[in-house]
This record gives sequence, C-alpha cells and structure tokens, in this order.
Amino acid sequence: MSENANGSGRTRRHFLADTGKVALGAAALTAGGPFILSARGETPLKLGMVFAKQGTWTEQGEMLVNGARIALAQAKGQVLGRPVDLVWYDEPSPQAAQQNFQKLVEEEKVSAILGGTNSGTSLAMAAIAKRLRMPYITPNAAAREITGKECNPFTFRVLTTTPVASRALAPYLATVGKKWYFICASYAYGQDVYAQMKAQLDQFGGREAGVDMTPLGTTDFSSFLLKIRQAKPDVIVAGLPGGDLSAFLKQFADMGMKGKIPVACPIIGDSDLWSIGPAAATGIYGKPWHFSDPNNTKEDRAFTADYAKAHGKPPSDKAWLGWFSMRSLLLGMEQAKGLDGASIVRGLESVSIDEGGIPAHYRTWDHQMLRKMLVVKVKDTITDKWDWMDVLKVSPERAEDLEAQFGSREEIGCQMESL
Amino acid sequence: MLDILLPQIANGLVLGFLYVLIAVGLSIIFGLLGVVNFAHGAFFALGAYFALSLYQWFGWPAVILAPFIVGGLGMAVEFLLIRRLYGKEPLIGLILTFALSLLIEALVRLVWGAGGHPFSPPPFLAGIVEYGPILITKYRLAVLVVTMALLVGLWLFLNHTPFGRILRAGSRDAEMVGMLGINLPRVLTGVFGLGCFLAGCAGVLAAPLWTITPSMAAGAIMPAFVIVTIGGLGSYLGAIVAGLLVGIVTALTIQFMPEASAAAMYVLMAVILLVRPRGLFGERWERFE
Repeated sequence: MSENANGSGRTRRHFLADTGKVALGAAALTAGGPFILSARGETPLKLGMVFAKQGTWTEQGEMLVNGARIALAQAKGQVLGRPVDLVWYDEPSPQAAQQNFQKLVEEEKVSAILGGTNSGTSLAMAAIAKRLRMPYITPNAAAREITGKECNPFTFRVLTTTPVASRALAPYLATVGKKWYFICASYAYGQDVYAQMKAQLDQFGGREAGVDMTPLGTTDFSSFLLKIRQAKPDVIVAGLPGGDLSAFLKQFADMGMKGKIPVACPIIGDSDLWSIGPAAATGIYGKPWHFSDPNNTKEDRAFTADYAKAHGKPPSDKAWLGWFSMRSLLLGMEQAKGLDGASIVRGLESVSIDEGGIPAHYRTWDHQMLRKMLVVKVKDTITDKWDWMDVLKVSPERAEDLEAQFGSREEIGCQMESL
Repeated sequence: MLDILLPQIANGLVLGFLYVLIAVGLSIIFGLLGVVNFAHGAFFALGAYFALSLYQWFGWPAVILAPFIVGGLGMAVEFLLIRRLYGKEPLIGLILTFALSLLIEALVRLVWGAGGHPFSPPPFLAGIVEYGPILITKYRLAVLVVTMALLVGLWLFLNHTPFGRILRAGSRDAEMVGMLGINLPRVLTGVFGLGCFLAGCAGVLAAPLWTITPSMAAGAIMPAFVIVTIGGLGSYLGAIVAGLLVGIVTALTIQFMPEASAAAMYVLMAVILLVRPRGLFGERWERFE
C-alpha cells in the first residue's frame, strides 16, 4: 500500500515528509514570541468541573453539568474573547474528588473549577482550592461549614444553607399548624434540619409531636409511618435527602396518608418528586428556583427554553444551579483583571445578577451567594407531565431583609483570610 | 402498648418475608454451588427494572415474565463466568461477582438512566386494610401471600422432585452424583438460574414498595447476607426464620430506638453468631471444612 486511495501517486514517504514540514513550521511559529502574543486570543482557556459520573450522585452530577454547559453555550462558548474548553472529572469520594481537583489544576492547567454534588466532596475540594489558590464554586452543597468555619478566600457557594432555607419555610408552615413531627436522616444535613426547624418551631410557640432520626439510605419507612400516624401531628417536617425523601413520600401515599397530614422539607429537588410519580407527590418545600415561576427573568426563561430543546424536558433545580454557577463564574471572569486565582476571586466578588427585584451576589466576607428562595407547594391536582408545583411565596420579600435571612457574621463564623 | 406493638410486628413480618425471598436465592446458590454471589442484589434490581419496562410496553400481566428473564440471564452468567469458580478459592468468586454487580449497575444506569422511576402497585391492590390497631397496605398483604406461595413451591420442588434430590445430593458430593451418570454442570446452571429467578421475583415485588433506582441493589444485598449468616449458610429453613426475625427486630427497633434501626440486624447477627457460630440452622458441611 504505497499509494494513497485517490490514486494521485503520492507515496506514504511523501505524506510523512509533508507532515514533518508542517510540524517543523508549527514548532517555528510557537518559538516566535511576537506571533504567540497576537494569536493568544484564540488559545482555548480551560475551566474544570468535578461532578459525579458514578454512584448515588450520578443523576445530580449530570444535571449540574448539563446546566453549566448551557451557560457556556449561551456565552457563545467563550470568556474574555477566548474559547473555553470544559474538562469534566469524576468525584467518586471526597478523597478522589480532591485528587481530581488537583489534576485539573496541575495537569489540565484550568483557570477555575466548578464542582461538588454534595457537601462531603465540596468540603474536601474547598480545602485543596485554598492550598492551590484556585477559584472554586460549589453549586449544590448545603453544609454550613463551607462558607462558615471552613470558609476560605477561593471558595464560593451558590446553594442556600439549611438555616436559610428553614427561615424561609418555617413562617409559612407555622400558619398550617403548630404540632410538628420530625423525621430526619441521621447525618449532618438531617440533624441540621431538625435543629433549625425545631428552633423555628419554638419561636412560633409550637410543640414537637415526635422526632425520629432515620438511618441514611432507609428504603422502607412503613414502621416510621405507623409511629407518625399514632402521633397525629399537624405537619411532618422531613429532613431527608433526595432518595430517602422519595421513598418516604411514596410509602406515605401508599399508606393512605397523602392529603391528611402536610409534609414539608426545607430543600427539595425536582427529580425527588419526578421519581415517585404524580400520585405520590405531595408537600410544601423550600426550593432555590422553579422553571415555571412567573417571576423568572428573561435569562431564566431563555435557559428553560434552551434546556428543554437540548434535553426534552424542563430544567430541574439542579440543572439551574449548574447554569447559574457557571453564569456567575463567566461574569466574574469577564470582570477580573487577570487570569490568576486572586484576580478571578475579586471578579466573582463583584458579580451581581439581576433576578427581577433582589440582585443575587456573593457576599464578600463569606463568599455565600445571597439570593431569594422560593416556598413551593405540590399542586393538589397534577395535570402537566413535569410542572407539579406552585410558588407560594418568595423569601425574603424585600432586598433589605436578604442579609438577615442569610445570617450575621457572628452566626456564620467565617474568619476569611486575606488573599 | 399492644396497640403500638401489634402494627409494628405485623409490618415487620411482611418486611421479613420480602427479605426471606431476597435471601433464600442467595442461600441456595451458596449451599449448592459454594459461591458467595455478591451480584445477587444486582439481579434483584434487574427484576425491578425488567418489570418496569414490561409494564410500560405490555401492561401488568407481562410483569410476570420479569423474574424468568432474570433467571435466564443468571443461567447465561453461570455458563460464561460462574462455572469457572467451582472448587476455587471462595475469595475469587466474591471478587468476580462483586465486579459483576458493579457492571450490572453501570449497565442499568446506561439503559434506564441515573434517576429513579415511579412504579405503583396495580390499581386493584392500591389502598389499605385496617384490622383493629393493625394497618397494612393491600399491596404489602399481596406480597406476603405471593412470597409464602413461592417459598412453599420452592420447598416442594427441592424436597419432592427428582431434580431437587439431585441438587441436594450434588451439593454434598458432586463427584458421586457425576459417577451416577448425572450431568451435574447442567444442573448447577439451573441452580444459579433458580437463585437469580428468586432475586428477580423479590425485585418485581419490591419495585412498587420502594423506588426503582440503580442503587437499589445495595439496599437488598446487605440484609440478604445478614439473614443467610444468621440462618446458617445454605440452610433453607434458616433463611426463613432469620428473615422474619430481622424484619420484626428492625420494626420494633424503629418503634423504640429509631436511630439504631439500621444497626439492629447486625447486632442480632453478632449475638447469634456468638451463641451459635454456624448460625441458627447451620450444619457442618464437609466440603467447606
């Protein structure tokens, strides 16, 4: 086979010689300083992502990535006039997430990283972000420590924490009834929900009907439901993470309790409900965003349309978190005066995103994103394939209450080091 | 007090029967093949997923085919992989079946997606039954009846059919059964298929009770191992007694000490193994000594 397929008579030796010339030419060009500077505008800039590709968190990881990709596509795939390459690594465990974070920095030479489907991996990566001075945004972690005691100048967080979500939800819930039964998963998030919601209940002069701390990953809640039924509460406060909450709601409906006692949870994800079907879906929840919220901005609506076009269904709250986080990062980088970590951090601190009334921004002293939160309720009659919730209220209603809803310096406990 | 205890015990019994169905297949495979099948939970999950797809395509009656498909897959897996493990170090089997469970879970994610799927009981089994303080869903009662029928059928099959006698003889002395002119490899393929069929049955029954997710295998495999260990490795009766014990102990722990409910079955296992190291009905098996 010395001749090529089109029969032009050129041999493999010719081809190799030509390739060699091209390679030599390219090497000569890259060696020339002035030429590189003028062509630098076209050199792709890399942004890293560390989200789950396997295990329990896979679905959330995929949705966060899908949202982030749409934000980049809407920015025409570039920032500061340079094309952006997104590099996505896995986060199978906190330790592996740290290793992948480090790889992105040292081998892929990324400029900033988005990552963490959960609090465990996010806390782990935040520590490495500080050490490597790499701007890092965690979209989906609720643990207080990330922007509290463990805060650092390079870590930013978008999701609201459990205390904030509890403050948004509790006042409405107190109007429903004041005898609450708590069923919370026996780990950091569940314990936090119990502590925060119990404090709110005490403030409203309510009474605890019972409390069950359930093992994380419980598949069968029937015995717990029998106990709740005996206690006859006005409201059930569930501090359960996604999969556990889905199983609980499904069995709650199967045991004929749906519609009899309201269920509430400070934070819900769309897929937690989509996975159990409309017959079992019920409850009052805190939610960062909802795709059919009539108050959504034109950017939100464009995102919803682009997402539906790409994935055949409306974006979940997780997809939105990915989109919003990436959007904030791109805006921050546009405002940064350089591509070093400290400059991007300064850029992110100056980001302000219009949300139709209260602008969202990262608070400079703890890097928590301050923004509104929704209280939603599952519709009594579900007719749409995907839209199952009504927005009951926005919290806070006034911009001046935003700071207080997210907590004071003393309460947060973040002692931010200087850059 | 009785008002509190009775509903929990009844609920624990139903849960226990489902655990028995998951565990008995594992027990049979270990007892007759000597393989600790770590992929048992994955076959359980496959049962649920096949039921979901069959229901979506053909409606409720087709769901009954799901365990047979899982059983067939089990036979193929035995023919291609498991038979190479007979007589080898048990650890190799554990590693191979563990890898298989990871592979099946990854394939499930690929085919059905990473999210959960809604699946409700058939309409005629929706609703609850109340009898005094006892409250139970109609579907859970149906699970109880179906599981008991399956267990009786299996017991009759193992004890009163020629195939069952060959199985029991083969598990004790494979060489002798082979010398009698019986094609033992083919029988063992059938046993592995039967174990997977039972896991598939449990998966189909559990699908409307729990949510269908790729990680549901993990929720099934640990109770199954604990039950097989408590009951005695390879013991059919042991698996039944241990399954019911685990169900009731878990339900009662939820009533009185909910945060310890996940640990309750492990404590029960530890206590029983301290008193009877071979489990409740464990015998001394020459081939495992």
